Amino acid sequence: MRLPRFKYSGPETLEQALDLLNTHKDDAKILAGGTDLLVRMKKGLLKPKVLISLKALNELSYIKKQDGYIKIGARTPLADIIASDLIQKEARALFQACEKIGAITIQHFRGTIGGNILQDNRCHHYNQSDFHRSGRQACHKDGGKICYAREEADRCNSTCQSDGATALMALDASLILAKKGAKRTVDLADFYTTDGIIPHAMESHELLREIIIPLNGAQSSYQRLAYRSAIDYPIVCAGVLLKHSSKNEIEEARIVVGAMSRSPLFLAQVSSSLKGKKLNDTIAFKKAADASMDSSAAFAVHNVGATLEYRCAMVSQMVFQALEQAAKCIKG
Amino acid sequence: MEKILITLNINGQYCEVMVYPNDTLLEVLRDELDLTGSKESCGEGACGSCTVHMDGKPVRSCLTLALEAQGVKITTVEGLANGDDLSDLQQSFIDHGAVQCGFCTPGMLMSADALLKDNPRPDDKTIRKALAGNICRCTGYTKIVEAVAHTGNPKDHCPDCNTRSNEKE
Amino acid sequence: MSDYTIIGKRMPRIDSRAKVMGKAKFTADLKLPGMLVGKIKRSPYAHARIINIDTSKAMALPGVKAVVTGKDTEGIKWGVFAYTRDQQFIQMEKARYIGDEVAGVAAVDEETAIAALDLIKVTYEELPAIFDPMEAMASQTELIHKDFPNNINIHVNIDTGHVDENFKKAHYIREDTFVAPEESYFQAEPYAIVARFDHEDCLEVWMPNGGPHMKSKPLSNAFKIPLHKVKVRKIAIGGAFGGRSEICPVDYICALLAKKTKRPVKIEFTREENTIATRQGHAMITTHKTGVDKDGRVLARETTCYMDGGAYSSTGPIATSVPFLSMEQAYRMESVRYNGYRIYTNKPIRGMIRTHGRGFACGLDTQLDMIADHLGIDPVEIRLRNSRQPGDYTSTKSYVDSCAMDETIHKTVEKSGFKKKWGKLPPFHGIGIGTNSVQTGFPMGIRGGSQSFIKFNEDGEATVMSGVVDNGQGNDNMLVQIAAEELGLLPEDIHLVSADTETTSSDPGSYSQVSTFVGGHAVKIAAQNCREKLFKVASKILKTAPDNLVAKNRLIFVKNDPEKSIPIKKVVRISLLNFTSVNAEGGYWPKVDMKREWVSNPYGQMCEAFSFGTTIVEVKVDPDTGQVEVIEVTAAQDVGYALNPLVLEGQFEGSIAMGGQGGMLTEYHEWKDGRCINTTMLDYKLPLACDMPPKINNIIVESLDPKGPYGAKEAGMSIAMSAAQGYSAAVSNAIGVHMDSFPLTPDKILAAIKGKKQTC
Repeated sequence: MRLPRFKYSGPETLEQALDLLNTHKDDAKILAGGTDLLVRMKKGLLKPKVLISLKALNELSYIKKQDGYIKIGARTPLADIIASDLIQKEARALFQACEKIGAITIQHFRGTIGGNILQDNRCHHYNQSDFHRSGRQACHKDGGKICYAREEADRCNSTCQSDGATALMALDASLILAKKGAKRTVDLADFYTTDGIIPHAMESHELLREIIIPLNGAQSSYQRLAYRSAIDYPIVCAGVLLKHSSKNEIEEARIVVGAMSRSPLFLAQVSSSLKGKKLNDTIAFKKAADASMDSSAAFAVHNVGATLEYRCAMVSQMVFQALEQAAKCIKG
Repeated sequence: MEKILITLNINGQYCEVMVYPNDTLLEVLRDELDLTGSKESCGEGACGSCTVHMDGKPVRSCLTLALEAQGVKITTVEGLANGDDLSDLQQSFIDHGAVQCGFCTPGMLMSADALLKDNPRPDDKTIRKALAGNICRCTGYTKIVEAVAHTGNPKDHCPDCNTRSNEKE
Repeated sequence: MSDYTIIGKRMPRIDSRAKVMGKAKFTADLKLPGMLVGKIKRSPYAHARIINIDTSKAMALPGVKAVVTGKDTEGIKWGVFAYTRDQQFIQMEKARYIGDEVAGVAAVDEETAIAALDLIKVTYEELPAIFDPMEAMASQTELIHKDFPNNINIHVNIDTGHVDENFKKAHYIREDTFVAPEESYFQAEPYAIVARFDHEDCLEVWMPNGGPHMKSKPLSNAFKIPLHKVKVRKIAIGGAFGGRSEICPVDYICALLAKKTKRPVKIEFTREENTIATRQGHAMITTHKTGVDKDGRVLARETTCYMDGGAYSSTGPIATSVPFLSMEQAYRMESVRYNGYRIYTNKPIRGMIRTHGRGFACGLDTQLDMIADHLGIDPVEIRLRNSRQPGDYTSTKSYVDSCAMDETIHKTVEKSGFKKKWGKLPPFHGIGIGTNSVQTGFPMGIRGGSQSFIKFNEDGEATVMSGVVDNGQGNDNMLVQIAAEELGLLPEDIHLVSADTETTSSDPGSYSQVSTFVGGHAVKIAAQNCREKLFKVASKILKTAPDNLVAKNRLIFVKNDPEKSIPIKKVVRISLLNFTSVNAEGGYWPKVDMKREWVSNPYGQMCEAFSFGTTIVEVKVDPDTGQVEVIEVTAAQDVGYALNPLVLEGQFEGSIAMGGQGGMLTEYHEWKDGRCINTTMLDYKLPLACDMPPKINNIIVESLDPKGPYGAKEAGMSIAMSAAQGYSAAVSNAIGVHMDSFPLTPDKILAAIKGKKQTC
């Protein structure tokens, strides 16, 4: 399958990249690993005039501990994150998430953490070839007025299937977005528009530079379900963060459910219901898991495989397993 | 759209080739350089048939732009053997019956080769994980995993280690 | 048997070397001088009348060398059988599925060809489309094919008689319905074709195929050129599994483009095209009604199966019959009535597939388990009480000669520890058994036999010519192994020319499961005839009767006096110097009932041998997620004789992956308005290395068929089919619910577990 034509730019520095972005704006797309962008281009879902490649920007590939934070360059390959002791110990949910992305043979060059977070929303009606989509009305995401996943929906219901984003939101991560001459920090939880067509609150002349994870002595866990043990996107997933007090009580919990909605869902109310609970309070965990299921079910549509019923039911499983695992890490 | 002259280091040799920006490495290997060992089976990075090495690490060549493959050492399946002398891994694939239709074989070899260079004595689970990104429809993977496990590590219980290919010598 | 030097040995395949070096050429790897890129224009509508096609803009695009539509054909409808002629090579009147071919383009490169497709303007008048076979039969809207009322493409009716009276005598009767959506072949190699007309106006084509002679005849008819001018060439093939057998529109379109442009044309399918525009398996709704005596012996059975055939017939009669025939071969079924309906829908075309009728077969086996449950018999016992025995006749009157069905059951039971485990495992841990049988061939009329020709070169080495095709299963190696054994040469002394319609004789094709039985047999006979000639010459030199000679390791020597020998090379030279040929031919035609026909007369000797297989599977089910962990699979097949155990094991393991792991747990197609939602390697779930069970036990059972070469029969397919049944039985056993809807995806398993909890 051939890629459509485009003009290629290979900036040598971040400054050059931002400059190019500023010039081309909507006409350009950033190329990191390409597993999301290039595949969509091959299917004819988008035809950017310009590709700005991050290939030479090694300055965006790093993992470091600084000022009480883990800082990860956006272009860091997934393989590096998986191999990092720091991430395995202090941001376990991210390690677990990255391990599951694609396959080992994709994680060296073609998979970057930035690429995973910024992957476009997916839907099995939308992510199809030109040919598949011809002969029928275009859906919302494809420039039309119809949704094939949810009848009579007036908006796009495509799903965020990013393992990385789900885990990072649980870790309370923030993002540094850069543009020519400026940069800003935004909490990942505030980064989503909940619009299936343009899911990320990011300007076309902005570039994701860095991911920041606060180090606060908390434990985390990420669980996901897919049909197979590699290659597949998750059909449901959950990221959990547990911060505990010296009394073995939960001081703070963050429960995030992914692959069920247009963005990862940070369940604030369910999360706060765990405050003050003991780390071995299985009943509280089960209750929280079921509540997570109820909260997320409203958003989900059948558009990523399996059945809707099954995915909803599994939210409870994923959250419960993640809670148990995070608690275990604390106790262990 | 204009073609750009690039230099690729493939299997130890430098080649100059004119490419379009939207040419993938897989297309250039197959169509311009007649290295048809790497295959296209899915076109979207799922199946692994296009796997080659860049600096010894496996990569999907169908999702690699040709002009981004400069400045690295590219190895394809054609570069595994030393002339007519097959690598131990290739020979092991033959001896253990790990090749049926052969379409997934080049990609499978490249993923396995990268694994063995990193870990010469991988266990069953490690091998299966390393090959999880290579889809095979014919073999059920059993003999592929065996072939990788027994490369340079012949097992007494295995009737296919040290077969006729070694007997000939 | 252990007298053989090469046969029966674990021998690495002769084609492996080129494949591991990346040298083996598959169709898409071919480059011919002046070659153009071809692309197909496909209908985006499931059912639409073609009003007009305007190709003018496409023809005018620089770089486009030819555009063809139905107007460039005679519009004749083609079919595998005389009574299934329903498909024009390029649609002129109607498009009947999303993907149907309406035009073809040849251009200088892919980009131009694709741009040209967009410039071809087709005016359609959309018609009501039907996607459900039951709806299709009842529909009042325009028939998909006007000559097939109620959209029924094929109806196979088999009735042995006495069915109703024997039901009356039954102690226990069950009627259950089982459903399964279609599955897909997903060969690793996407379909591709290269065609050209050479300097002698001969048509030369390369494409993956299940039998080149099945492709050459329709091409000869379509282009009105004699068969000797149609050269379907040998090429490495990346899997077929039954899905690349007969001619298809793209074969014709590519050749037509080559004719028009006077240049070679290559068409490469995308993965999506391979999924929707070649063939798929049939979705099926099967109802089995079975009556047994108090010991669980089947007295009467009635089976009705509705199959979703898609838009055209393809090999419909075969696909509609084989699921039933496999079961009537595996089990005694004296009184049986079968009604198989293949129904047209506006979906991609369905064909014969290695895992024929998973819903059908699983259903029959599941029902046996249900009956066994009711009668208090274990699943092994009920199968043994109904199993096929040597010397039986099947319900459709095929004599079964060699049969080690029971041995496959006993051996798998022993190896897997079935008796120790069944009924004694903890909750959600189960074990199950499936048994099946596959015909080694079917009546193929004029193409029922295979002929081989062997020539010796002056250096004492041989070239073997055979029409047998290798789809990746190892047929090339099989032929060389046989030839080497009979000729007394080593495998590396033999060059194989095969699957080439210019040089090789007609052969039934690999899809009929007879490559070894018929094709290999023909090579064996040809080699024996060569050897006879060599012995005649050698006997004069060694001064002994030809009966006293042995050919082995490149030598001919006297049986009890091996020192008295002469190299084969020398014998060949002496023959040639004495104007005597040592070349020979050989052919094999199985004695089948030539009057047996799938629809009009489905009775009589089907083939000369049947294979039998049993698969036992042990699983653990996670009751919280419904996910299945396969612990161990034990598979035994009566293959007659194992020509090469190394190759056989590979076939078993691949069969377990396709029929069991994928076919029973993850593979199915999902649809929206006639559009296939999961056409890609990402969305259609083929098993990965890390998904496969860690332990697979292969048991080769040998019944030494009296007709098969060295006793060999079909190998592999009985496992592909019984593996699905074994997986299904194991999961059912683990959760205590007999499943009736396949594949057993986690959601179904979870729902079944929940359902059981509520009724308890």
